[in-house]
Amino acid sequence: MLFCFFSQMLSSAKQKINQSAFSISSSSSSLSHSHSQAKNMTQVTMEEVWKEINLASLHQHRQLNIDHEPMLRNQNPYNSIFQDFLNMPLNQQQPPPSTSSFPLPPPATVLTLNPHSIHTQFEESAKFGCFGKKRSQDSDESRGDRRHKRMIKNRESAARSRARKQECAYTNELELEIAHLQKENARLKKQEEQLKMAEATQHQTKKTLQRSWTAPF
Amino acid sequence: MSHARDPLVVGRVVPDVLELFTRSISLRVTYGQREVTNGLDLRPSQVLNKPRVDIGGEDLRNFYTLVMVDPDVPSPSNPHLREYLHWLVTDIPATTGTNFGNEIVSYESPRPTSGIHRIVLVLFRQLGRQTVYEPGWRQNFNTREFAAIYNLGLPVAAVFFNCQRESGCGGRRS
Repeated sequence: MLFCFFSQMLSSAKQKINQSAFSISSSSSSLSHSHSQAKNMTQVTMEEVWKEINLASLHQHRQLNIDHEPMLRNQNPYNSIFQDFLNMPLNQQQPPPSTSSFPLPPPATVLTLNPHSIHTQFEESAKFGCFGKKRSQDSDESRGDRRHKRMIKNRESAARSRARKQECAYTNELELEIAHLQKENARLKKQEEQLKMAEATQHQTKKTLQRSWTAPF
Repeated sequence: MSHARDPLVVGRVVPDVLELFTRSISLRVTYGQREVTNGLDLRPSQVLNKPRVDIGGEDLRNFYTLVMVDPDVPSPSNPHLREYLHWLVTDIPATTGTNFGNEIVSYESPRPTSGIHRIVLVLFRQLGRQTVYEPGWRQNFNTREFAAIYNLGLPVAAVFFNCQRESGCGGRRS
């Protein structure tokens, strides 16, 4: 279902870019001028196309988010990956995504998308490499979001770590107290023993004393 | 105040898995020679086989249920499969142990791959001998729900230990 959707978007994007490509190659002005002009034209067209795709993908993204919550931990898996597809130069192979568990392989249509004249434009922007998530167009917000998320995760991890440490400390404290109490217990027991002994001997001597007092001599 | 020092609270077992409760029955879990104390670090090789469990109480006519879960699956930073049921034994008579109970879900040794997992053993008191149906799968188990369904009330005892993969660094980097 996803594949169909994306291939549809790509084919419509392809059409639009093809159209703009033809308009560029047909321009008669000098190379540099045409390049800059072309760049503006392609950028404008690209932005339009991108906006369209963005809106459409957002709707899809929202729907899918509910079903695939655990998988879509990355902020904008669809948007950033798609952007990178379009930014890629023709001949570069698509490396597998590093962080996302998103299973979509690169559609074949992307690589054949760019006609020769646009190749140079794309090459410039593609210098930053694919999956350069930091450099993609709308990365500013997603970059901040990703950093924020990472920070939160790190905090939670630190809190768990502290909790584990605390438990260790608590157990140690308890063990110390146990040892202390045991010692005191032993000491007190000894004392009691001693007192008992003392009392016993005292008791014995009293008896003999009494006897001597009552002796009828 | 004292609850804040309770290892179950410090380790977030309460409220992640259980409600706050007061211990009333003794629970001793022993793996080999090692008695499990809260927060003890055990590795998979040390918990391969089911532990020896001894419970307290006084009246042999009272029956208890033991639940063993891992709330940190697949990893503590992303526990979307919380909780994983490792072991379920019911109808344990007071003063005895799991050997005298009914093993509804057989013991599966913990084998965490990512992070440091808490493994919790909880003891509930049953109202009487009761039939407990084994859940269809081990993951996404919910101890609270389970207790509610079978009218087990609040736990009477609980203990947990930490488990990470054999070659884990213990949460400490040199």
